[in-house]
Amino acid sequence: MQKQGYWGYIFTLPFVINVVVFLLFPIVFSTYISFTEWDLFNAPRWIGLDNWVRVLNKHEFWVSIRNVFMFALIFVPIQTIMAFVIAFMLNQAIRAKGLFRLFYFLPVVTPWIAGGVVWVWMFNYQYGVINWVLESIGLDPVKWIDSSNWLMVVSSIAIVQVWKGVGQSMIMILAGMQNVPKEVLEASQIDGANGWKQLTKVVFPMVTPMVYLVMILSTISAFQAFDVFLGLFGSITTGIPERNMVPNLLVYRDAFLLFKMGPASATAWLLFVIILGFTLFQKYFEKKWVHYD
Amino acid sequence: MSKKVKVFTLILAFMMIFTACSSSGGSTDGETPPGEPGGSKDKVTLKIGLPGSYEVTSKEIIDGFIASHPHINVEIQEAPWGDFTSKIATQIAGNTMPDVWFQENATILSYGQRGVAEDLSSYIEADLKADEYIDGLFSAKTPEGKIWGVPHGINPIALAYNQDVFEKAGVPVPTDDWTYDDLIEASKKLTIKEGDKTSQFGFIGSFSITNGWFPWIKQAGGSALDDTLTKSRFDDPKTAVGLQQLYDGLDQGYFADIDFLKANGGELEVFASGKAAMYFLQYSLQVNMNESFADTNWDVVKIPKGVDGKRYVPMVANTWLVSSRAKQESKDAAWEFLKYYLGDEVQDMIVKTGSTLPVKKSALDQLKDSTTKPLNKEAFTDGINEGGVTLDENATWSEWRILVQQVVNEIMVGNVSVEDGVKDIHTKVQDVLDSSK
Repeated sequence: MQKQGYWGYIFTLPFVINVVVFLLFPIVFSTYISFTEWDLFNAPRWIGLDNWVRVLNKHEFWVSIRNVFMFALIFVPIQTIMAFVIAFMLNQAIRAKGLFRLFYFLPVVTPWIAGGVVWVWMFNYQYGVINWVLESIGLDPVKWIDSSNWLMVVSSIAIVQVWKGVGQSMIMILAGMQNVPKEVLEASQIDGANGWKQLTKVVFPMVTPMVYLVMILSTISAFQAFDVFLGLFGSITTGIPERNMVPNLLVYRDAFLLFKMGPASATAWLLFVIILGFTLFQKYFEKKWVHYD
Repeated sequence: MSKKVKVFTLILAFMMIFTACSSSGGSTDGETPPGEPGGSKDKVTLKIGLPGSYEVTSKEIIDGFIASHPHINVEIQEAPWGDFTSKIATQIAGNTMPDVWFQENATILSYGQRGVAEDLSSYIEADLKADEYIDGLFSAKTPEGKIWGVPHGINPIALAYNQDVFEKAGVPVPTDDWTYDDLIEASKKLTIKEGDKTSQFGFIGSFSITNGWFPWIKQAGGSALDDTLTKSRFDDPKTAVGLQQLYDGLDQGYFADIDFLKANGGELEVFASGKAAMYFLQYSLQVNMNESFADTNWDVVKIPKGVDGKRYVPMVANTWLVSSRAKQESKDAAWEFLKYYLGDEVQDMIVKTGSTLPVKKSALDQLKDSTTKPLNKEAFTDGINEGGVTLDENATWSEWRILVQQVVNEIMVGNVSVEDGVKDIHTKVQDVLDSSK
């Protein structure tokens, strides 16, 4: 028995090392450097809470938090509702089901670099296809991601994020729906439930754990939004306006363009605290609507 | 051996394997890898970092150095231009960087401030005759007199014009005596509107730094920073005048804007196809023009004179630096390389590639006999002599430049007024300058 125990430790060692080196160590180390001044090149110098105070006093940090908060508020509900509706449709006996699933999942595997370029074109004020459609039906063109209104920009980008993420969420909810026993649906039909009643009273309660999971994952991905912003704005060096910043862009800029590892780590930790807060908030309401039976 | 010891040994072996995998090895130990023919213990190893590889630094130059310096064992570390900054930062953090490499001049200045670059002033004083070189040799010099590197080459701008477009419109082509007002007037004449849409612009209103906002504020008598590079000059009304002129061109539609450029394939394509008659072109782009748009009938003149009658020619330098952490023997070998690089043989090679201007005067003189477009290459070389300026580069350039660009973009697309924009920029830039003291 004891011998078997040793082998267990040995076989799990590579994974333990992996977790220690690539997860625990960075977590501990980033906490440490958030209290130091470190430019990567010279030894870190302990400066106490300075970085935290400086980040919290910076206007751009609060702007970035405001943006990412609104981004999540727009993105999460749209993504969850759309994923649910699409999954419900694809769960029906429709033709070319596989083709539709592929169609909705395609953006998930499209690299941001390609997706970003296409969306930038579609959003172009003068030459974009979206404004072309608006103009052809007699409406005024809209400044989407060039707008001076940050809410417009954030909303536009949230739509792009939905395009990218809805496929994955849809697959998860679809998996949940396929586990709904046919007998239950048939029984409800015999009892006189129509399509809408079936959806809201039978299917939805049974897939709430999946919907909940999708909401939690979408919220985290919204707060961690990075590629979508970088993909649509091009690059930080070309000058993303302050009103369109999100925390991860600030972390990236401070750490890898300006070599200010201290403020970058402090920002990352503050973002972590915010994400944790939101997840706990969602967890608090979990019992009220999620059914696990 | 007890079981515990066995297990411990096994764990240790695993850890050693992992450590060995993560170590990049290699250092300036002066040893030749075993088994290499001709290797001897006296041979110095020189690690040269090449961003953009041989597309930027011609292989001929490196091969020439290896052949002429048999006592130096050269190791090349290549990375694509875009990835080089992050690679080198990681290497510096881990103390495994090359002995000599090049990057943008502004980046080099910040490396110098952080103690990574070797001060080359004493090397230059001992081995080079400063009067054989243009002032650009000292692009990496700080106000305190330290020199953090020597240029790989100089890349200035000149006013490129599409001859056919001018002829068709019956407008006289630009001359070296032009002022910015002449440029604006000609742009208005050369702009062709068809209904709501403009099919031809007078000038490309780029709002990036080198061929956009920086020359516009300099010509108006303004500047980004003061001479000491410690004070923002965005509060200077003249700086605002320059930005206003650029904005007016875009707003009133005689300068091509960013949407038009994007929709029509970019700045070079728009200029080459005659959709814009003029363009502030960087020297290195002549290579692309000749490769991709050989049929375009174009030439250059010096960029126009500023309001004070003086000319300001923004120039960008990529700069070689020597690692201050290398061993002395590697530093000496690195300086050998840089001396070779700044010598006649290599400087003549650089002229032929056309990707950058050399810094040695004798090599620059050869450009007069060049028969490739643009024929008037003196617009670049004389331009540098007359008014070559760097982009107010200092150790915090990367940081304040991003902040300026953020607001300039907003001004140029009309989201923020010039007046409000410069106030905002001034506060932010001064903040960065103050915090670096």
